[in-house]
Amino acid sequence: MFYAVRYIGLLFVFSILSILAAPVQAADACGKVTIADMNWSSATLIANIDHFILKNGYGCDAEIVPGDTMPTGTSMIEKGEPDIAPELWSNSLKAAIDKGIAEKRLRVAGKSLTDGGEEGFWVPKYLVDKDPSLATIAGVKANAKMFKNPEDPNRSAFMGCPAGWNCQISAGNLYKALNLKAAGFDLIDPGSGAGLSGAIAKAYERKEPWFGYYWAPTAVLGKYKMVKVDFGSGVSKEEFINCTSNADCENPKVTMYPPSTVETLTTESFAARAPEAFAYLSKRGFKNAQMNDLLAWMEDNQADGDIAMEHFLKNYESTWTPWVSAEVAAKIKKALASL
Amino acid sequence: MADASWLSAFPAMDRSDLLAIRKSLDGGYRAFSRTYGDVIESIFDPLLQFLVWFERLLLDTPWWLVLICVVGLVYLVSRSWKLTVGVMVAFMLIGYFGMWENTMRTMSIITVCTLLSIALGIPIGIVMARSDRTQTIVTPILDVMQTMPAFVYLIPVVMLLGIGKVPGVIAVVIYAIAPVIRLTNLGIRLVDKEVLEAAAAYGATPSQRLWGVQLPLAMPTIMAGINQTIMMALAMVVIASMIGVKGLGQPVLKSITNQYFTMGLFNGLAIVALAIMFDRVSQAYARRTQKHMKGGNDA
Repeated sequence: MFYAVRYIGLLFVFSILSILAAPVQAADACGKVTIADMNWSSATLIANIDHFILKNGYGCDAEIVPGDTMPTGTSMIEKGEPDIAPELWSNSLKAAIDKGIAEKRLRVAGKSLTDGGEEGFWVPKYLVDKDPSLATIAGVKANAKMFKNPEDPNRSAFMGCPAGWNCQISAGNLYKALNLKAAGFDLIDPGSGAGLSGAIAKAYERKEPWFGYYWAPTAVLGKYKMVKVDFGSGVSKEEFINCTSNADCENPKVTMYPPSTVETLTTESFAARAPEAFAYLSKRGFKNAQMNDLLAWMEDNQADGDIAMEHFLKNYESTWTPWVSAEVAAKIKKALASL
Repeated sequence: MADASWLSAFPAMDRSDLLAIRKSLDGGYRAFSRTYGDVIESIFDPLLQFLVWFERLLLDTPWWLVLICVVGLVYLVSRSWKLTVGVMVAFMLIGYFGMWENTMRTMSIITVCTLLSIALGIPIGIVMARSDRTQTIVTPILDVMQTMPAFVYLIPVVMLLGIGKVPGVIAVVIYAIAPVIRLTNLGIRLVDKEVLEAAAAYGATPSQRLWGVQLPLAMPTIMAGINQTIMMALAMVVIASMIGVKGLGQPVLKSITNQYFTMGLFNGLAIVALAIMFDRVSQAYARRTQKHMKGGNDA
């Protein structure tokens, strides 16, 4: 759940939206569809692609609404709005989503990132190029002195995960399990996702040492090449679920992060009234390598979601045509030509 | 696009031109932070050391000693038993609910921000009051500072100085300094012309007029400005914690992320308690100094 809520205000926006949108449920075909546009690049891109394809390929009255993992998930469960969450990192909300599925309020369409999300502790590539031992946790600990903590010259800085995000728990437990405290590292809270990426950008622009938590696929890791630090422990999914990701894990053990499930989630009412559009959503998914490329392109061109959507639909035709029927693909190409 | 599309759509700049502007400005900023980042960081280093020292002081001192100092200070400044007891009860409750450390952190950073705002704001206000041209330049800058969404300048500041206390202080001061500047300016401008003429007739030099006549007479207005500055600084606590400033803002952020409503409420109330304390104490101080002054004027 590290893509967490930053503004509770969004919740209010959603509740207002749901009041406004409730009466407009077209009986035929797809009708009005709201798509949550999460506030990070890959989710924005997918939301815009869904918007264009649903609108032009399936005749939906699609609309993009702002969202974020927690408020969108909660609002979908409680209010049935918005209809689609195109990129939901569902580990954070697992219990609530399972309940929603059991109560026939939600349906999982498919994986939006087929490889799953990648989390870990990272160091910039330029450090590893200079000293390859820094790609392992032993090397990082041995060189703790170089990761200076600006607020305490005697300590080192390990940049954790922002307050309240789920990864704060897992990163905190791994910090304990890896004995980083004894190695001289203080766990620093960057406060927000923007703070964390800003800290990486600052270190990278000046080629300073940096050591902390991040995840992929993201524009930050597309742009700033980082190396995932190897804990030398392999992945123990069981340990991660039972202990590392739990706040009251008493005796955490070292494990690498298992891949996170990243799904497309829809409301049951949408899935029932528009089975064809739902079928498209269940096929639509990206490989991490491809998403990193797209995100780096977005970053280089400072593109927002709809420009990146156009870039993707025009240049990656072989990727998206299998997601839809030939007839729908023709409609989309026609709409694309008139953009 | 030679057709008449400008009738229906605004003739906006070409996307590629806009992109070029955005990219070159961003690139320029990155180059600037790469070149001058270290120098600027070292300029702010004494401030950081002071902030760290002050926070450590409040955290390492035993709680009862801090409480005695705060309550003593409140009584000295306000001379009101009711207020003093109120502050003590508020702090006891904050400590009892486990928010002592975060409250100390917030108090330390807010105190520094307020002092910095006053130290910078009052001189700027004085200059503004003495020159109409300065006023026409500074006023729109203050408008920008008060309305520009904080994150717009926060992230560039983070790129320059990293996350933590210093960018937090900068953000808070940018947002909170405006009222003290505006009201210092206003207060001085509102001083009666006759009073100034009288002072001049007695042979007062400009600096004597400023220190002896204008500033004392403007004091109530300036105090109102300082008051607003304190309030606005406290309101920025949550925003500052979004770039890694420790304190009451962090649990608030954590609670809105996880929808822990009670935790949010408790920490929010602690911020309110700090705000009310700062407010009542500074107002009581202002009232007391005003009373002395009034007596002097009437005589």
